[in-house]
Amino acid sequence: MSLYFGIPILLVAAVLQSVWVEGIQILGGRPDLALLLTVTWAIIRGANEGAVWGFVGGIFCDLLSGGAFGMWTLALTAVGFLAGQPWVHALGPTIIRLALMSALGTLFGHGMLLGTMAVLGYSINLGRAVQTVAGPAALLNFLLSPFAFTFLVWFHKRTQPRRGGFAQ
Amino acid sequence: MRRESGQWLPWVLLGVALLFLLLIEAGTFGPLESLLGQIIAPVARGVASILDTFGDLGQTTQDIRELQEQVTTLQSANDTLIQENFRLREFKAENEELRRILSFAQENPTYSYIGADVVERGCGTYPCGTLVGQDTNPYLQYLIINTGSRQGVAVGMPVVTSGAALIGRVARVSPNLAYIQLINDPQSQIAAMLQETRVTGMLVGTMEGGLNMIDILPDEEVAGGETVITSAAGGLLPRGLILGQVESISYLESELFQRALIRPAIDFKRLEIVLVITDFNRANLQELEEE
Repeated sequence: MSLYFGIPILLVAAVLQSVWVEGIQILGGRPDLALLLTVTWAIIRGANEGAVWGFVGGIFCDLLSGGAFGMWTLALTAVGFLAGQPWVHALGPTIIRLALMSALGTLFGHGMLLGTMAVLGYSINLGRAVQTVAGPAALLNFLLSPFAFTFLVWFHKRTQPRRGGFAQ
Repeated sequence: MRRESGQWLPWVLLGVALLFLLLIEAGTFGPLESLLGQIIAPVARGVASILDTFGDLGQTTQDIRELQEQVTTLQSANDTLIQENFRLREFKAENEELRRILSFAQENPTYSYIGADVVERGCGTYPCGTLVGQDTNPYLQYLIINTGSRQGVAVGMPVVTSGAALIGRVARVSPNLAYIQLINDPQSQIAAMLQETRVTGMLVGTMEGGLNMIDILPDEEVAGGETVITSAAGGLLPRGLILGQVESISYLESELFQRALIRPAIDFKRLEIVLVITDFNRANLQELEEE
């Protein structure tokens, strides 16, 4: 399993998100590091490992959030599961589907987060949320996806690749 | 074959994530959350201090350091003067209010009176917290500080900066961390009043991280630039903590109340050290309910 290095990577990503990324603004928004790494790993290793990375990354994000525990866990697990589905392979070469899924996965993840918040009684303005948070985050994750891919492929090559991974 | 046998894993993980939410809603997730929080607290502190160190490396010359010290000293002096100014204005407003009450009492000699404060600010211990990080959920406005239940911090405690400005309330605690719901969080509601005119309302956060004062009666006159402070109605907060200043006021005929746009008294992005008020003399609401 990839969690030997996945746990520390996701832990550092969540902590960096909290202590650094949330304090800066790029192109009017902020990237989602844990979400980006989850999508990338799901593209490389498939739905199962994507869901596991999403679950672990979500727990770390929830621990650094004042909101209800489980919102990030649910959103990132679903994103990891979605990004690793076999139909994603039909979107084109690895780097294209990674970039597309980074953007779509971000929108889906934020949609899950907002949906969960709405169910739990938080006040949500969907239009503003997409315009000011989810949209810019999707764009930034789209742009950062090649860097995340290069970084995680290095780890991927050092662990046993599974059949049905990104090499197909 | 092995791959097929693992098809259930994502569904189990999704189920567990849903279970987390259900346990949180049921209020039985605390011990596990505290345990997990103990893992992340030292990492968050470590990364925050590393980032601070890297930030300092950019400022290597002695001149810059000296200038920084001077700026810090001047800022501190400025903060003290602002605080003093606010306090004097509060005394003035309170004095005027007491004069009005006295005048009312003299004009109505047949009435009986007992004077009372809504809530008096008490003396307490103030655990000092250093800012560790911000909320990973971009739709919430929370801060995370490095003091928790081990230092006596509990849910509901007000958190202020050195200038007696309220930044928020403790929403969640783990043994070593506390999660502060900022006053500009969309879910935050603070009983507020204007310092000069004593007009009351509710201070609420917006999705964009701004502040609005709502529920201001339509016949009240509100001037731009007036200071907004906590009113202590409800007994959850001490009275007189600074919240911000009125920037503009709007009133639509279709609405029952006026709404004021408030400029926060502090820059939430620049906070470094905060104080948690662990105790103050609260109004005993239980006694009121019993009566």
